[in-house]
Amino acid sequence: MLRSLVATELRPSLERHRSVHANASRVDTHRLLVNLDQATRIAVAFACQTATTQRSGLGAVCTGVLSVAGAGVSLMASGRSGTVSISDAYVGTLEDVQFAIGVGPSHDAFASGRPVLTPCFDDRASSRWPSFVDLARANGVAAVFAYPLGFNGASIGVLSLYQPADGNLTMSQHDDSVAMAEMITETLLTMQDTAPDGMLAAGLEDAVSYRAQVYQASGMVAVQLRIPVSDALLRMRAHAFATGASVGFVAADIVARRLRLDDDAKGSRNGLVAGTRE
Amino acid sequence: MPDDERKMGLERQALTALTFVEIVDTLVGDFDVIEVLTVLTSRCVQLLDTSAAGILLADPDGHLRVIGASTEQIELLELFQIQNDQGPCLDCYSTGAVVVESDLRRSTPWPKFSAESVRVGFPSVCAVPMRLNDVILGCMNLFMAEPVALSAGEVAIAQALADVASIAIVQDLATRQAVIREDQLQHALNSRIAIEQAKGMIAERGGMDMDDSFAKLRSFARNNNRGLTEVAEALVAGTLPIEKLSGRRATDNP
Repeated sequence: MLRSLVATELRPSLERHRSVHANASRVDTHRLLVNLDQATRIAVAFACQTATTQRSGLGAVCTGVLSVAGAGVSLMASGRSGTVSISDAYVGTLEDVQFAIGVGPSHDAFASGRPVLTPCFDDRASSRWPSFVDLARANGVAAVFAYPLGFNGASIGVLSLYQPADGNLTMSQHDDSVAMAEMITETLLTMQDTAPDGMLAAGLEDAVSYRAQVYQASGMVAVQLRIPVSDALLRMRAHAFATGASVGFVAADIVARRLRLDDDAKGSRNGLVAGTRE
Repeated sequence: MPDDERKMGLERQALTALTFVEIVDTLVGDFDVIEVLTVLTSRCVQLLDTSAAGILLADPDGHLRVIGASTEQIELLELFQIQNDQGPCLDCYSTGAVVVESDLRRSTPWPKFSAESVRVGFPSVCAVPMRLNDVILGCMNLFMAEPVALSAGEVAIAQALADVASIAIVQDLATRQAVIREDQLQHALNSRIAIEQAKGMIAERGGMDMDDSFAKLRSFARNNNRGLTEVAEALVAGTLPIEKLSGRRATDNP
């Protein structure tokens, strides 16, 4: 009897607690529920203030604190992603290419829930993520370290660190990166706490909105080709790859109706097309 | 007799230590907070001269609810229930201080509770707070069959056990809360993306721009009493045919 009482009554009641303690009429449940020390809570409060735009300081703070050349923070959800903050333009390029081709160290870190440490681009890295490695090298990147963002094995995104020379992070850099990933996780969740139910917090909107056209275009292509939306994105990636354009560029053309992937055979864009007629 | 007492003392020390080890062991890795609290109440009965023990936590409305008890005796549950009106637990929860009442047959601040407790065979009661720092989660209620007070040492043991259990509760809450928050963020991200994808689908099908497409999506959701995200996700998943929304213009846009 107690068991069932507990199962039905406790679970909801545990979700949120309120104390009637003398000098705290309404306890900050967040403070109670999240095991953060004071320093982390303060850091999170500051980070929330800075992490509100694409070119925000969050990525730059990571490079400073962790002594790395470049850093990017991306929100991710089952193959979809959006950068919240990048320290440098090339970091954005490398995060974008991973989004576009659907593979890369960030994806692996997100999928596995574990850090993916690539101190040099050896054969293994090159065979796993050929396009990413090529583009990384072209941007002067020699090593990349991707830390999943999330607690309890769940992932909400990835912190990616980029270095211009081969070599592992030091132990303390690694430890700090793990701590930084936790703090960023808390920051993103805290930002989202203020959002209306089911909506993305205003500060996190940029992570999606700058790729809005890509998502819109994938919906259009799905209808054009009568294929699932996820396949449409792959088709756009293939087209971008074949034409040497970025996925964002392809998407802009599709949304502007300068390009249809179902009439590729007609050579709608300078003949530089992959035959994708259904 | 002194030997017996010494033996009893040693046995209690050993059992106390074992209880702590047992509870701490359950906190490693995944643990069931209910299990931890149930173990706690039964050990309290074994360790201390008590007949029954129960743990009450406050729900969001400040209502005390039974989470675990050493016995499922119905009278005991009713005793816990009464305390949402009056009783040592309510006092303990409100003040954060230990409440000890060794003889409920005397006049107490809680006549209704006292009468019922005496009637079902518990003339002595003690309540220790379940707390973490300055936050009080609820309390542990101990009932004795004889009108005698728990000793200061016994109260200290009870409080120490309650403190360990409080850590378990807060840890469990933190874990659960983190999962909820992560899920909410993922859902919001997916929802936002699905809406963009659905806009693209409607725009392509209806030959309209993204603004009109969004208006179409929104009015369809509203007219069909469905959520915007739900409609968008159904379109993207293919469970809602795009034809249902097709039309050259968003004429039903207000």
